[in-house]
Amino acid sequence: MARVVLRNLRKSFGALEVIKGVDLEIEDGEFCVFVGPSGCGKSTLLRMISGLEPHTSGAIEIGGRDVSGAEPSERGIAMVFQNYALYPHLTVRENIGFGLSLARVPKEERNRKVDAVAEVLQLGPYLDRKPKALSGGQRQRVAIGRAIVRDPEVFLFDEPLSNLDAALRSQMRIELTELHERLGSTMVYVTHDQVEAMTMADKIVVLNGGRIEQVGTPMELYESPATPFVAGFIGSPQMNLFEGGAARTMGCDVYGIRPEHLTISDGAGQWVGRVRHVERLGADTIVHLDVPDLGPLVARVDGGLTYAIGQQVHASPDPERAFKYRG
Amino acid sequence: MTDRSLTARNYAMGVVALLLAFVVFIVPFLFVAINAMKTAPDAAQLDFSLPERWVFWENVVTTVQTRDYALLLAYWNSTLITVCAITILVIFGAMVGFVIQRRPSPVSRFVYVLILSGLMIPPAVVPTIWVLQGINLFKTLQGMILIQVAYGLGFTVLLFRAFIATIPRELDEAAIIDGAKPWQVFFRVVLPLLKPVTVTVIVVQSISIFNDFTHPLYYLPGRDNVTVQLTLYNFQSQFASQNNLLFMNILLITIPPLIVFVFFNRQIVAGMTSGAVKG
Repeated sequence: MARVVLRNLRKSFGALEVIKGVDLEIEDGEFCVFVGPSGCGKSTLLRMISGLEPHTSGAIEIGGRDVSGAEPSERGIAMVFQNYALYPHLTVRENIGFGLSLARVPKEERNRKVDAVAEVLQLGPYLDRKPKALSGGQRQRVAIGRAIVRDPEVFLFDEPLSNLDAALRSQMRIELTELHERLGSTMVYVTHDQVEAMTMADKIVVLNGGRIEQVGTPMELYESPATPFVAGFIGSPQMNLFEGGAARTMGCDVYGIRPEHLTISDGAGQWVGRVRHVERLGADTIVHLDVPDLGPLVARVDGGLTYAIGQQVHASPDPERAFKYRG
Repeated sequence: MTDRSLTARNYAMGVVALLLAFVVFIVPFLFVAINAMKTAPDAAQLDFSLPERWVFWENVVTTVQTRDYALLLAYWNSTLITVCAITILVIFGAMVGFVIQRRPSPVSRFVYVLILSGLMIPPAVVPTIWVLQGINLFKTLQGMILIQVAYGLGFTVLLFRAFIATIPRELDEAAIIDGAKPWQVFFRVVLPLLKPVTVTVIVVQSISIFNDFTHPLYYLPGRDNVTVQLTLYNFQSQFASQNNLLFMNILLITIPPLIVFVFFNRQIVAGMTSGAVKG
């Protein structure tokens, strides 16, 4: 059992409070993603769970045990860092086995465990290399291997894919998801990339300014975002959000409509605008419009459709899927 | 300006620079070497002529045997002081640099100020002798070792601290999560990565300690405590007219630092510049 429970967790640096009371329950075996803009406190929250960053008040429970004052090594966690943090003077084998050698695990048992992990991660041929002789993806796998070999109750990932190129990143997303299925451990994953959050998570925690904005499955957050912030953060391209006069005519304070829930037509429609820019992605086309009543409006349409810059078109929202927020 | 005139000018400047370096560095060395191979009356002239009679080996033997083999004793003393002082300097310097860099607090900042003031404030000889006499370390090799450590520690800590700043903190954190205690973080993760700067410290400090003249002169008087540079001093008073032996002595005591430099030259530069740019 490795449920992670945070109770009214707070963190201050001097007078500045960066985590303003977080209550969260992460179930056993869940893949939980913390997502939010930079400076929202997601990495700090992860480091507080790891024990690298002391918390100011509140409690942290891992597997039913209060670990609030425990050392990082006593919490049953393992962490993968953004820059991998491999020991440059040690070989891959020594890197993965470092924790075991600190714990004075006999050499044969250590080698056996390292070999088993290396096989899972396909690192066998590289065990005698130093980290500098590995590619980015291989380094990332070594860092993950170092975490697996500790057999932790909870894995913590701090933006582990942000140093990789796009192709490798999508490959590693799949590998991590498969790894989670195979190990069945609880994983907490920090990212600023909402695509990673949507594709990998069982549960997404959206953070903003040191507070939780919303917790839910990816589709819950997509289909019913609780606040305009979540609405704008989840989904790509971003949801169109309108405040002020434009929203009031629609009977709310903030009006939101996703680009994929807009219909563009040459004939009649709710809004009239001019095409400012067209991004052709192949399967889809993203059309940027200037609508005099609203301002800029982004729509996602079928890839087969073409529009000329400056062309006048009509845009209509799907009223069922529009979001109206008050206050 | 054409390419040709540019190369010609570069060539001329190169020759001038080489000539200057030759005059500054090589000429004095040649002067020493030539005079070390002359007979006493010949060397008393102090000129740049070649020896009338080459007496290299005789001079070596005489220099070594003088004062009951004082030179060999001096080699031993200087080596002992250098090795002990360097060992303490490297271990302490790295540890202090690590704590100051990794754990910023009012205490570590105060210690850093103390270390910087150790670099800036000139040492006072007479009070140091009082202190040494008070703790019975005056005229002892142990006292001399501690003094060399004290003089070298400021610069050493500065070098180590700057180098440790280039080691990502995530490495420490990864080790902590792997279950390392603070001393294990230092000895198993950080210290092995300090190799380049450690070589720099060893070479730079060992040459300055080995070649030190004034401090052994003040703090280490006594016939049995002679160090290499002090053998020159003894020679000059004893053989006022025997410059040939004085120069031979210079040649002999220059050899150990020269060997260190020849072998570690590349690593010194690597340690000095590593961390200057991301590599």
